[in-house]
Amino acid sequence: MNRQNIEKVKEVEEMLLDVGTLLMSNGASTGRVRTTVNRIADALGYDVELLITSRSLMLTVTEENGSDYTSSVRRTPPHGVNFRLVSGISRMSWRIIEDKLSLEQINEEISRLTSLPHYPRLVVLSLVALAGASFCRLFGGEGWELVVTFVASFFGLFIRQEAIKKRFNPYLSIVFASFAASMIAGLSVKLGIGDTPEHALATSVLFLIPGVPLINSLTDLIDGNTLNGIVRGINGFIMAFAIALGLMCAMQIYGL
Amino acid sequence: MATDILLILEKGIWFGFAAIGFAVLFNVPQRTLKIIWLIGAAGGLTKLMLMQCNIGIVIATFAGASLVGVLSVYAAHNKHAPPLVFSIPGVIPMIPGAFAYRMMLGLMQLSGTAVSNEAYYQTLAETASNGLKTMFILMALAVGVAIPMLISRKETIKKIRHKSDSL
Repeated sequence: MNRQNIEKVKEVEEMLLDVGTLLMSNGASTGRVRTTVNRIADALGYDVELLITSRSLMLTVTEENGSDYTSSVRRTPPHGVNFRLVSGISRMSWRIIEDKLSLEQINEEISRLTSLPHYPRLVVLSLVALAGASFCRLFGGEGWELVVTFVASFFGLFIRQEAIKKRFNPYLSIVFASFAASMIAGLSVKLGIGDTPEHALATSVLFLIPGVPLINSLTDLIDGNTLNGIVRGINGFIMAFAIALGLMCAMQIYGL
Repeated sequence: MATDILLILEKGIWFGFAAIGFAVLFNVPQRTLKIIWLIGAAGGLTKLMLMQCNIGIVIATFAGASLVGVLSVYAAHNKHAPPLVFSIPGVIPMIPGAFAYRMMLGLMQLSGTAVSNEAYYQTLAETASNGLKTMFILMALAVGVAIPMLISRKETIKKIRHKSDSL
């Protein structure tokens, strides 16, 4: 075994760990993490074995025609959702095959992708609030109820973002957000704004629903990654309970 | 009848906006936003149309979610983004929020003091019905959207083999 060769395998391994943990913590399903990491390793001429759990990633990289190998484990950062990154890494994995990118180019591309901008905060807040109002319309709300849901979702999401920024527990952040949104919507029930203000109360917290964990959970379960599927599913359920808790507190306060 | 259809079409627009809101929350690439609007609206319209034909809400949701799944696999090939970028925002507008809310209200009433036996059983029956609907609609959504993605995964792997052979 020569030292230089091992260093090279180590570098590839670091890059693959980056790719795997980034995908896992930004909303990709377990199957996608496995396929993408395998695809990149294949293109560079390495074999890779993976152990993917929800909060850590372990892999062993072997040279395709050699005997040098390394293993290591890395902790996956807390889960969030950023589909721009997932999509970017997926595109990059195809370019690695087609354009034969070198390791330096891949690392550059990864740091470019992680520094890509998010949508401006005001745009996110308004569009999510608009989504809340849409939910209200879909469940039969009209006129003022849509406005109430818009305002409630806007402030609810604002509170959640602030709570996450201040590093509160993620579930607690959801409780805060759901409480804030339903306090605003509950006020409209108390004051009797609109014909059926209950619609506003029921839909004001829907922007918090854990869509990505629940759908990824089912994808993982069907795919045979049972353990990860169960972990994601329970995570989604706790989030749903957190929403219910916030809503319940607000309803008790208003005595609805 | 004509007003019914107009109402359904109007709701299609709202389905699209709900999908866009979540798409932005999940930070999807900008080039996919229009398609997500269309996919969300198409899935929602399918569900409402089927319900208009007296088909149960669970089956209707399953059909809508499957359409979203299939469309997002096509969109993924055209727009070069993984299918989940389109499918997850696309199905979220179909989430049974109203049923879940009523189930929660029912549970709260049940855990409080029961007034009379009859009222208690009435609430119990309604809560069970709302809870089961919520659960089955959620499963229909997740399974409906996951199956097209799982079927198409095999095709992509074939494509990789094919592509790397031809290089």
